[in-house]
Amino acid sequence: MNKIAVMNSQELGESTFTTTLPDGLEVYICKKQGFSKKIGMFGTKYGSVDNDFIDINTNKRTKVPDGIAHFLEHKLFEKEGANALDLFSKMGVSSNAYTSFDQTVYFFETSEKFDESIEMLVKLIKEPYFTDENVQKEQGIIGQEISMYDDDPNFMVYFNALRAMYNQNPVKIDIAGTIESISHITKELLYTCYNTFYSPQNMFFIVVGDVDVEHTINLIEENLKKYENKNLPKNKIQKFRTEEEKKIAQKEIVQKMDIYLPQLCIGYKLDLAEGKEILKNEIIVNIISDMYFSKQSDFFEKEYNSGKVNDSIDMQYEGSDSFSHVIISTLSTKIDEVEKDILEYIEKIKNMPVDDEMFNIIKKKKIGEAILSSDNLNVSYRRIIDSILNKTDVYYQIEVLKGITKEDIRNFLNKLTIDNQVSSKIISK
Amino acid sequence: MNIYKINNNKFKSIYISYNFTQEVSDTKIFSSYAVLASLMAKSSKKYTTQKDIEKYLNSLYGANFDVNIEKFGDLYNLEFRVEFVNKKFIPSKEELLEKVLLFLREMIYNPADWTQDILDRERDFILQRINERKDEKLKYGIQRAEELLCKGEPFGTYLYGEKDVVEKLEVYDINGAYNRLINNSLTVIISGNLDGYDNIENDVEKIFKQYDRNPNSKIENLKYNIKKQENYKYEEVKEIQDTTQSVLSLGLRIKECTPKDFYVLNVYNAILGTTPSSKLFQNVREKESLAYTVRSRYYRFKDIIVIYAGINKENYSKALEVIKMQLEDMRKGNITDIEFKSARDSLLADLLEWKDSKVAMAKMKLSNLIAFKDADISIDQMREEIKNVKIEDVTEVANKIEIEKVFLLGGEIDE
Repeated sequence: MNKIAVMNSQELGESTFTTTLPDGLEVYICKKQGFSKKIGMFGTKYGSVDNDFIDINTNKRTKVPDGIAHFLEHKLFEKEGANALDLFSKMGVSSNAYTSFDQTVYFFETSEKFDESIEMLVKLIKEPYFTDENVQKEQGIIGQEISMYDDDPNFMVYFNALRAMYNQNPVKIDIAGTIESISHITKELLYTCYNTFYSPQNMFFIVVGDVDVEHTINLIEENLKKYENKNLPKNKIQKFRTEEEKKIAQKEIVQKMDIYLPQLCIGYKLDLAEGKEILKNEIIVNIISDMYFSKQSDFFEKEYNSGKVNDSIDMQYEGSDSFSHVIISTLSTKIDEVEKDILEYIEKIKNMPVDDEMFNIIKKKKIGEAILSSDNLNVSYRRIIDSILNKTDVYYQIEVLKGITKEDIRNFLNKLTIDNQVSSKIISK
Repeated sequence: MNIYKINNNKFKSIYISYNFTQEVSDTKIFSSYAVLASLMAKSSKKYTTQKDIEKYLNSLYGANFDVNIEKFGDLYNLEFRVEFVNKKFIPSKEELLEKVLLFLREMIYNPADWTQDILDRERDFILQRINERKDEKLKYGIQRAEELLCKGEPFGTYLYGEKDVVEKLEVYDINGAYNRLINNSLTVIISGNLDGYDNIENDVEKIFKQYDRNPNSKIENLKYNIKKQENYKYEEVKEIQDTTQSVLSLGLRIKECTPKDFYVLNVYNAILGTTPSSKLFQNVREKESLAYTVRSRYYRFKDIIVIYAGINKENYSKALEVIKMQLEDMRKGNITDIEFKSARDSLLADLLEWKDSKVAMAKMKLSNLIAFKDADISIDQMREEIKNVKIEDVTEVANKIEIEKVFLLGGEIDE
């Protein structure tokens, strides 16, 4: 019997059960009474930035081509020529996978085929099958995916902002890599990455839905046992991070595309934060975004009435163990004026007292927003993934939210300095 | 006004959808209604600015409010929607229902006095929506196929209207649009956790009934599918754009379609192109590597299907040929048991998952009211109907489907 711990949120009326299986895999189950849909996710704490590490089999430091984590995701979600999406689809189950900077996650959504889906998901991840031929074929498919993103202004404006902020950090490289970089990927390199990062102690399993907790844990454990003899070395994983200077790489990147509406991302590169601080920064920036840039703000009203902005102005924080930054994004036909207004405004609000009434209303809204969002199962798993990567309690975010003060807001705003600010623009041809 | 309730205690909040629905006699109204909806979302007499509205909603524990425009086939629908937390889940147990309903009434029935200045600002907003259409290539490709199939019909009109019409709008036109709007057929759908709100429909009626100008009008009596025979012809259209990828979209017409075909057509469409086991995904993407995205979409109100794919331009003829082969296979009944079963199971699963969304359930109810004239059909009944569909039914319907329009948004950049 595994020891199961439970975490509760009174605000959300929700509980998450967690246990660590004997092989080191962490399992999280968020119970959502009454919902039909059940989501199962098998993930690893390995993403596109992890391109320099100790090969767990040879003990040698290895550098791998950009885009390999994403390539591995594609190849792993496939069984002897059949696409995993199709294998699940044949059971009437929808599935997908994604790779981000610091995680790769495989998941399914089902209402009636839960046990079979768990079995299939474990099988896919535990039985890699890479051949020279299927690696070559994938280079074509991913090539198409990369060109699709090249035409997407939302994607380009964001990545150009990262390229402007970072000098060496691999976060500035497309998650999918480039057509050139993925041409260097071989089946041997895929096995190296798989063996190093797909061992149970680096992975997690999440289930969200109306499931029986003990049954689900046993089910996962039994399925994993089938592959016990394949268990990978449990040496500690060693990653190397590129030394990243504090300085930004480039003040501005402007790209032309065949679009009507120009896009803007303003980035502020910040000092690295860790764990709990990352989550706290996320919440502080959400509150700042609502107070100073949302439709409730004087600033938005001014920009709107003067015809400069039609859609919203959003501000968000992104942090991990290798990067930390704020991104403000919007669309406008008068992009240079909006940029100037935002930069001046940031300088101005740093020295302004934080409005009491506004601050309290926004906090009230944030609590309501958390309750409203609990009607959506996807919010539950995102919360769990955040807590795994940042090593916090699942419902820590709600606690932090209640504790945020006006001082926190002021302090954070003062970290946004002109020296660490960059701009990325996509303009019409 | 007709009020429908969908209760489920697994949710923590309540969603109210207040719909004005009308038949469209002149497609110029798309322009004036787009501007009207945008104006009404941003102010009323009491809440004079967006800021006032947001502030008030935030004080109601982040209640959401939105004005949404949409087409149900050839019907035009303008929807006011709100979402708020059931008092049971609020730390202070504060009751929000009455405040939310009064707010909604204020936004709908006490509009601001629109001046030319305010109108000009909102006109620019809608003009931007029209001008930025082509920025999302796939979406644009899909819309072009819809337009070619339904030219001159309300459904074939761009949701935000036409540039020349929007540019000429005056306050008089907007006031006229508003006065027509409040005479539209009115349908209210309440969906979510109604625990503690046993008589919520009476609360809604009490606050809104006196404002209903057209109480006898029923959405189910409106005509949602106008067919212009002159559109029933083969056409190929190409448009050039400066992108790396091209978009190929195909407009398919379903001839002699009856409402009963709805379930069979859903199965047909799933086999053709909505799941990873579908013919399009398997052949165009997996076997031939011609596209990363390829899907088909069935439009229940208009008896049409649109297929779309992101391709490299040099693969245009090949992609078209492979897609045509799939349609031919469907006609010949070359459908494997696995293809059939996975399509059906995925539809059954989708229907169950609709139950997990307050908004999806509300939308389903409205759609069934319009198309089936019946609001009481349950998800379980719909699942039974899907289960009764046979491969032969799919083959039969496949023979009523032809490609009528071929649209290519062609990229010109060489890689």
